[in-house]
Amino acid sequence: MSVTTTKIEPEATAGDQRPRGFAVGGREGRSRAAAIARWAFLAIVVVILYGPLLILALFSFNDSIVIALPFKGFTLDWYREALQNPLVRESLKNSLAVALVVTPVALILGTMAAFATTRFRYKGRGSVAALGAGPLIVPWLILAVGALLFFSKLKVPLNLRTIAVMHIVVAFPLVAAIVTARLVRFDHRMEEAARDLGATHREVLRYITLPHLVPALAAAAILAFSYSFNNFVISFFVGGFELTFPIWVFSTLRHAQNVPIVNAISTLVSLAQLLIVYVAWRLWRRRSKKMAANDDPMDMLW
Amino acid sequence: MVATAPPVGSSTEDSTRARPRGRWAGPIYSIAPTLVLLALFLGPMVILLYYSFQKASLAGAGGWTFDNYTSILTDPTYGKVMLTTVVICTISMLIMLAIGLPLAYILAMRTPPRFELLFLLMLVIAEELNPLIRIYAWRMILGRGGVINWTLQTIGLIDKPIDSLLFSSTAVVIVLSTTYISFTTIPIYAALKAVDSDLLEAADDLGASFLTRCRKILLPLAAPGIFVAIILVYIPLYSEFAAPALVGGTSGYMVGNAIQEAILESGNRGVGSAMSFMLLVLSGAVAWIGYRMARIRRLQATS
Repeated sequence: MSVTTTKIEPEATAGDQRPRGFAVGGREGRSRAAAIARWAFLAIVVVILYGPLLILALFSFNDSIVIALPFKGFTLDWYREALQNPLVRESLKNSLAVALVVTPVALILGTMAAFATTRFRYKGRGSVAALGAGPLIVPWLILAVGALLFFSKLKVPLNLRTIAVMHIVVAFPLVAAIVTARLVRFDHRMEEAARDLGATHREVLRYITLPHLVPALAAAAILAFSYSFNNFVISFFVGGFELTFPIWVFSTLRHAQNVPIVNAISTLVSLAQLLIVYVAWRLWRRRSKKMAANDDPMDMLW
Repeated sequence: MVATAPPVGSSTEDSTRARPRGRWAGPIYSIAPTLVLLALFLGPMVILLYYSFQKASLAGAGGWTFDNYTSILTDPTYGKVMLTTVVICTISMLIMLAIGLPLAYILAMRTPPRFELLFLLMLVIAEELNPLIRIYAWRMILGRGGVINWTLQTIGLIDKPIDSLLFSSTAVVIVLSTTYISFTTIPIYAALKAVDSDLLEAADDLGASFLTRCRKILLPLAAPGIFVAIILVYIPLYSEFAAPALVGGTSGYMVGNAIQEAILESGNRGVGSAMSFMLLVLSGAVAWIGYRMARIRRLQATS
């Protein structure tokens, strides 16, 4: 039996310490202009990404059924109407219910898949990994069409259950990818050290591996939730006559001109999603301060 | 070397250790995910292939045939739709690269860390929000009484609102190329982040101009990220169907819409699944090429 040498890799340097940037260096006039150009570019991108949503939100307060400039006056009526609309309520309830089922199942399956492909060696590991990459590469529309034909061939009735099942199929490989990235970077020796000190497999998992995975799992949970909550194509094909929030938005817009209640409810839904990300961000900040973390902040993101 | 380094993966010496750590642990962990994917991912794909070779009939399948494929390949209507799709997707992808490349460069190399994180977060969050809401928002901007037409009319550049802004292939390009900016930028950003900034400084010190530095150093090093971005963005663009359905009108009608119409509206499963399958093969080819290129470029870049 050979004794394996554990290679000690140099820790990645924590961030670039060099002063970066904005008007640094000798050729001041030129780099100043360049810095201004860079800020302007960033500002334009932010406007492209968030400007439309801001306009959408503004129109939700406009006191007119016609969505057109100029503004007619301020009102909260659209919010009242949106929240009282039975279809809006039903679609939101359905989307939430589906996402709340999809998220935990996707987390469990995804974590299992990540462990299966990173922590063990066995025949067929490559195939398992390749199969897991499938739903990430195949366009959702194609998977949705296939699933619709599949369910109708097997005479499975289309409803929220089929929606949830197919959301799980696309969400858990994403979770697996995120957790895998974390597991690959996570130092094996910590687990081994714990084992050598007599920890059982379960204890290693409970006290070493899982705590280390928490940021990745949190990020994965948020992504899986929003994958499911926002998914339109798959729900549209395999949902039968069930209404989810994106389906409601689509069919409302398809058959009518712009509708102010869509503005109102979309604003609320977007704000709720922002709030979730913000809370997660704060929690992560608190955690990383507490652990004096050498955690890479980017881990939160992917 | 220190003698205490443990033999990795030997479970024989201590039986109290981890039972699932043996030969079967890996397969055991992989059972549930694999079964789910075999049934609900491969199953639908196989069914798709099956229906694409079936004669159309009310019962669903009426014997083997190549007709679905030949009718797609010979019917000029489908050819036109495919051409529109290629043009829309390629232009959108190029626009996104034109935004994503400089953005990734600025974020990776030229932004103070504080703001770097903030901007990344903004990119990711923009992706989190519901894409349908974004499409709708653009409809309000491009529409008849929308922001653009109103502004142009107010400053007197036009007399009547321009109708062709909305419900056109231009509108689809605008909407699509603002939807996936994050997915384009982040892989390129990640690739650039791995670049040793000494390399750039050396080039700078040796008097290389900005363009030379871009061409000789930044682009080759960003290349793996660009190919990943193409896999992540260009492929899904081809099966886009909500955006063209909501802002595309007739000139922005894409393959995704044709598939949806064949399957859900005219009930033509054969043609619908044949189109889906062709799109799938095409996606696979693009993904494979992108993956190979990314690997080759990475090897070249690191050697």
